[in-house]
Amino acid sequence: MAPYDDWNKYDNEEDEELQDDSFFDAKKDVILVCIDCSSSMLQVRDDPENEGEKTSHLFAALNTAMQLQKRKVITGPNDSFGIFLFNTSRKADSSRTQVSELKQNTFLYQPPGPISAPTIQQLIELLNGGPEGLLEEFPPSNQVPLADVFTGCNWVIRDGAPKTATKRVFLITDEDNPHPGRGSEQMITAAKNVFDDLLKLGVMVEPFFIQTDDKTFNVNQFYSSVMQHTPLDDEDEDGGLNEAVSIARIEDLLAQMKFREITKRALFSVPFELAKGLTIGVKGYGLVTEQKKGEYKYFVDLGDRLEPAVIKTTLLDEDRQAEIDKSTYVYGMAAVGANTSTNDDDIEEEGIAPTKIVKPGQRPFYTPEEMKSFRTLGLEPGFKLLGFKPRKELKFEDNVKHSLFIYPDENTYSGSKRTFTALLKSMAKKKVIALALGLVRRNATPTIYAVLPQEEDREEMEPGGFHIIPMPFADDIRSAPVEEGFIASDELKDAARQWINKMTIKSGYVPDSYPNPALAYHYEQLEASAFQEPYDADEFEDLTEPNVDMIHKKAGPLLKQWKLDLLDDHSATYVSPITGSKRKADAAVDVRDVMSKFKAGALSKFKVDELKV
Amino acid sequence: MPAERAGYTVTMFLVDVSKSMGAIRSVPLPPGPNGEERSAKMTHLQHALQYVKFKIQTMIYEGRKTDQCGITIFGTEGTDNQINAANGGYEHVTEYIPIAQPTAVTLKKLDQLEPSDDYGDPIDAIIVGVESQNKYLGKKTWTRKVVLVTDGEGPIELEDWEATAQKMNELNIGFTVVGVDFDDEDYGYIQKEKLHIKRVNEEFLVKEFVPAINGAIAGNLDRVIEQVSLPDVKLSRSTLMKSVLRIGDVDARAEEAMEILIKTSKCTAFSRPKAFKKFAYRPKTAEELEAEQRAMEANENFEKTVTFAQLKARTEYFIDLRAHKEEEEEDIKVEENEDEDERRSLDKVEKEQLIKGFKYGTSYVPCPEGQFQRLPTKQGIDLIGFIPEKKFRREFSMGEIQYIWGNPDNASAQCALSSMVQAMYEKGVLAVARWVTADGRDPKMGIMSPALFEQVHCLLWAPMPFADDVRKYTFPSLTELTNKKGETLTEHPYLPTEEQLEAMDEFVDAMDLMVAGDKDEEGNRAEWFDPRDSYNPSFHRLKQAMFHCAIVADLDTNPLPPPNPELLKYFNPPRKMVKKAQGAIDNCVKVLNVKHVPKMAKVARKDGHSHAQDDDDEPLLLDRKPSTSKPSQAQSQVKIEPKPASIPADDGSETEDSDTEMLLDKVEPPRKPNVLPTPARSLSPSSNRNDNDDDDNAMDVDPQRDFGRLIGRSYPLNDFKDNLKRGDLVSKAVEDMCVVIKEIVLAPFASRRSKEMLECMTELRDVCLKEDEIDAWNAFLPDIKSKCLHSTPGNKEFWSEVQGTGRPLGLISDKEAKECGGSSEITEAEATKFLK
Repeated sequence: MAPYDDWNKYDNEEDEELQDDSFFDAKKDVILVCIDCSSSMLQVRDDPENEGEKTSHLFAALNTAMQLQKRKVITGPNDSFGIFLFNTSRKADSSRTQVSELKQNTFLYQPPGPISAPTIQQLIELLNGGPEGLLEEFPPSNQVPLADVFTGCNWVIRDGAPKTATKRVFLITDEDNPHPGRGSEQMITAAKNVFDDLLKLGVMVEPFFIQTDDKTFNVNQFYSSVMQHTPLDDEDEDGGLNEAVSIARIEDLLAQMKFREITKRALFSVPFELAKGLTIGVKGYGLVTEQKKGEYKYFVDLGDRLEPAVIKTTLLDEDRQAEIDKSTYVYGMAAVGANTSTNDDDIEEEGIAPTKIVKPGQRPFYTPEEMKSFRTLGLEPGFKLLGFKPRKELKFEDNVKHSLFIYPDENTYSGSKRTFTALLKSMAKKKVIALALGLVRRNATPTIYAVLPQEEDREEMEPGGFHIIPMPFADDIRSAPVEEGFIASDELKDAARQWINKMTIKSGYVPDSYPNPALAYHYEQLEASAFQEPYDADEFEDLTEPNVDMIHKKAGPLLKQWKLDLLDDHSATYVSPITGSKRKADAAVDVRDVMSKFKAGALSKFKVDELKV
Repeated sequence: MPAERAGYTVTMFLVDVSKSMGAIRSVPLPPGPNGEERSAKMTHLQHALQYVKFKIQTMIYEGRKTDQCGITIFGTEGTDNQINAANGGYEHVTEYIPIAQPTAVTLKKLDQLEPSDDYGDPIDAIIVGVESQNKYLGKKTWTRKVVLVTDGEGPIELEDWEATAQKMNELNIGFTVVGVDFDDEDYGYIQKEKLHIKRVNEEFLVKEFVPAINGAIAGNLDRVIEQVSLPDVKLSRSTLMKSVLRIGDVDARAEEAMEILIKTSKCTAFSRPKAFKKFAYRPKTAEELEAEQRAMEANENFEKTVTFAQLKARTEYFIDLRAHKEEEEEDIKVEENEDEDERRSLDKVEKEQLIKGFKYGTSYVPCPEGQFQRLPTKQGIDLIGFIPEKKFRREFSMGEIQYIWGNPDNASAQCALSSMVQAMYEKGVLAVARWVTADGRDPKMGIMSPALFEQVHCLLWAPMPFADDVRKYTFPSLTELTNKKGETLTEHPYLPTEEQLEAMDEFVDAMDLMVAGDKDEEGNRAEWFDPRDSYNPSFHRLKQAMFHCAIVADLDTNPLPPPNPELLKYFNPPRKMVKKAQGAIDNCVKVLNVKHVPKMAKVARKDGHSHAQDDDDEPLLLDRKPSTSKPSQAQSQVKIEPKPASIPADDGSETEDSDTEMLLDKVEPPRKPNVLPTPARSLSPSSNRNDNDDDDNAMDVDPQRDFGRLIGRSYPLNDFKDNLKRGDLVSKAVEDMCVVIKEIVLAPFASRRSKEMLECMTELRDVCLKEDEIDAWNAFLPDIKSKCLHSTPGNKEFWSEVQGTGRPLGLISDKEAKECGGSSEITEAEATKFLK
């Protein structure tokens, strides 16, 4: 792993695009998990997953909350987390000073705050008591008016959440009709009003409704009126009952939460010009991005505690030891070789800052604005459609970076959704991709993107939209260093086919099956350290390792046969190097048929290349 | 050409500076800003030097110590070369710049070259150049190149050249002749009225001398310059890395498992431009200024200079003890300069005192090595299984592609891999595998695809995401919309109609790139766009900029020329295709009817990046504004009117201080005391924002703009002004402003914003008067009067404030209206009476 200093430097100099992301990282996320503790939630049942074990909905919900906190350590270490319970007669400890007096039968188990080892451990301890323990800890009460629950959330968040944070309430309940019978209208109105207040404060409520075989959850009983289900005027993020409400079995709660654990944040919002006069708005999201281990930080041991060190990197004129204000930077080529005064090598060795000396009034360097214009070539952020090609023209090897996902933004151009959808349907039907020129941010570089349609798949929770895949430039394509080799005979190929037949994974590549082992190993050790528990490396399971038992069971003998065939194979045809295959070397830019490119005027082009000396 | 070892080259440039090189020619320049043709007058020599300088710039840019050059000129009046010094002869040949790594000085010296009044023999120059190159390199096996640049108009000794050619072949010299106005049929250039001597010389150089030297080439200067100024794509090959492909349990069940020796190399690798260095102007010290002054007094020709210093990064470490101090000093808060405050509380720490560690939420875990025990892994690629090709999700491909080859030194490995590749290809499957690049390195997941070249088979590797790398977000369905009752809708502005779908189908067909490229020999149109022809525009533009500033002293008088058109060739769809598709495009524009929604509150960000709007932006669809009389689906769902936020403890106290105290519990007190926030804007510090001041806060404040409205309740005045600045939608802005003022005035705690509201009204009245919205004002004022006085709770105080302001906020009378070119039915007397 690169030491911290290098890391910094890379960020500063090599890729100014990267800096942009910090903006998003800096925005904190606050999640308040709000759990129903009614008697049905507390009811102890057999655990379907682990035989002989007991569970309850509350137990599972708290367990999920704990898992979520652990995950947040990785995905959002600066985020805040809290747990709020309702329908419980548990009283607040008098010792704890709660700023706002909470409503009756609600209990703030864990005030929103940064995730920390002790709070997670406390929760783990609570869970160690089992579902029966929870019954004692949080005895159920009468049904609290939902309005009071929301009011409680409101106060708790107001007291405990930083104002700039994104604030969300994860509501977990199995009761689809908390206020039946008379007066329900008033209860709905009251709850709706408080819910609207939450929205106004920028708090989103994400419900997780639990249903079982015996007890289904009907949103229309109560909740659809309270969290007004308004898919038409709600632009997926402005609140309201979320489009895809989670109604699931308790076992799936964690999986459901994974869809929402990270606040959906657009990376960019730009116009997409399909043609002159036809521009729509789109927002871009990163659906696949490498999750890295957190970098180590520097700390100072103050005896009683560790204090993180603040790192300040400044640029200075070494000769003068003077810090230079960022606004005065200008940009140019390394001064080595540009220094007209003396021999540069000597200067370098003496450790004196290289300089460039010009006459007064002359400007030898570029301004930051000029640098930006070189980078963007004057383009404004946005996409411009260039045309369409058959899907198969998007080659496996045309890849350098991860893809992004775009979805229409009706707020910038009305009519974006219908136009986007029409384009999506048409492209999917015709099996084509589009090519588009794009600049995703003001300091990004113009890139050609392949625009790949994805139709909605409700089963798989795959949204409709376009994946945009950055195409490599000629500059990014490396030539093949191996030009000839042994080609296996048909017999050998058939032998290989035998064992390949036995090793097919029908579902395709499903990322969920492959958690990053290095990341998991790192965080398990970090967690053990933070919890001050010993870590047993032997218990670690790497799910990315091949299932060799299965391979041998299914394909072992066939592999053996293939190996034997390989040993016996005398028919392998060696294609001897053809002299004068220079042309291939010349153009061996990539794996496609080289000839096609050179069909037209190959020789003249060749000659011209050589003229470059 | 075959990728050659970079560097380890000495190039001799032999430049003709004879009299004839001083002839003036007109050289076309890139078109001007309005597309006008432009050209520059320059000498043949200057033109020729462009080529030489370009080659040298490239060397400077690459900055290789082993890429060197020397410059010999011929046709000089005098003579200065080693052979002449030793043996005489070889006159008019001057060794101008000795062999070395070129620098900006080299370029500067080239600029100083002038055509002479004499002539020199290129063959003499070749011999001098080859000799000094040979002397310099001795027994070194570097690449030797000689480039001759001449117009061929001087006398050449046409005898005995064979020995020279032979010597050059012995030394394996790469020889290039670049001729000024040499005929080039391929290029389509034949010089008319060619001098006889030039015809003879050209014939000799191109048809006799060059063919006698192995691999030598000759070319026309214009053509060569055209070629070299094209973006240059370096064909680099990647190093082959040793690895092994494992199938099954190679340790315990070896006879049933397979290990194929492989080599891997990069297939794509993102090229980044070289980083620019940062510089800053270095102010002169007092001593320097004094020294300069003295020098000027002593020598009146003394030229002042300005120095720019290259900057270097310095990293320092501090600990911030402020957080803890704050608790102790809370009561004694002194107004302090923030900088000073910071300096006081930051203690510098030396790097040696620091301990590495990780954060686990708020807990800190020391970890002196900077990492925990690493996952024990073994180098190699482990095969996991095969997936059907059609299940491959192209968008999962996370990064650069790698080649996987059977080890080129091992026939059996090649055969084994080849058999696998062929079988995979035949069956239509891709392989899933786990790659560890070296023992102990973190594993990566990937998909391997079979690639069958004519003479070799290999696999291509694309990295795939781990579970941790995939973000699952939910998005509303694009095709299924349900209304409040849970019914599925089939018609809605968000859903494309049949007509719209058809228009789009036509558009997609019309914009087919497969037949939009250039015609081939048979007249068939080729496809348009090939990554192998696409230059990274930023990369080459930055490189060009770097070249340029390395050689010019002043960018104002000598600005960077425009980018090579080659860089921009994929910036627009092919013109011919668009022309043909115009009908389909026009139809799409018509039936899809997309409208830009004007941006409301300017939320300028300091960093100037175009980030996504904040997620709490209210939707705003102007085409369905609720004020129109036509009810629509969406309109029925317009958000309910704002109501007093149900914040507890309203004891009716209206004093500003207590309200603030109560509502803004933990929020810092507003910076500007004159305007205090209402609940509707509880976290905003101030409404008298100037644009540069509080922009950052603006991001966090909901503009409180209702569905379809231009004016929000948070910053009505700003919204209003912004809209008017853009000039569109004045009536709508006025209409909305009236509504918003009423809402705020009649809301609880309105007294805190009454001053602001008066400002709003003043502005509104002014606009109404000037923009001929007089009726709107004259309707608004009675309305708000009656609401203030007669509704419950109303706001009598506010109305009396309006009255107090008097006529400037009264009805607009006919007299006033006339002055501004409008009309009003209200008389001056009525207007005055109205306020009583």
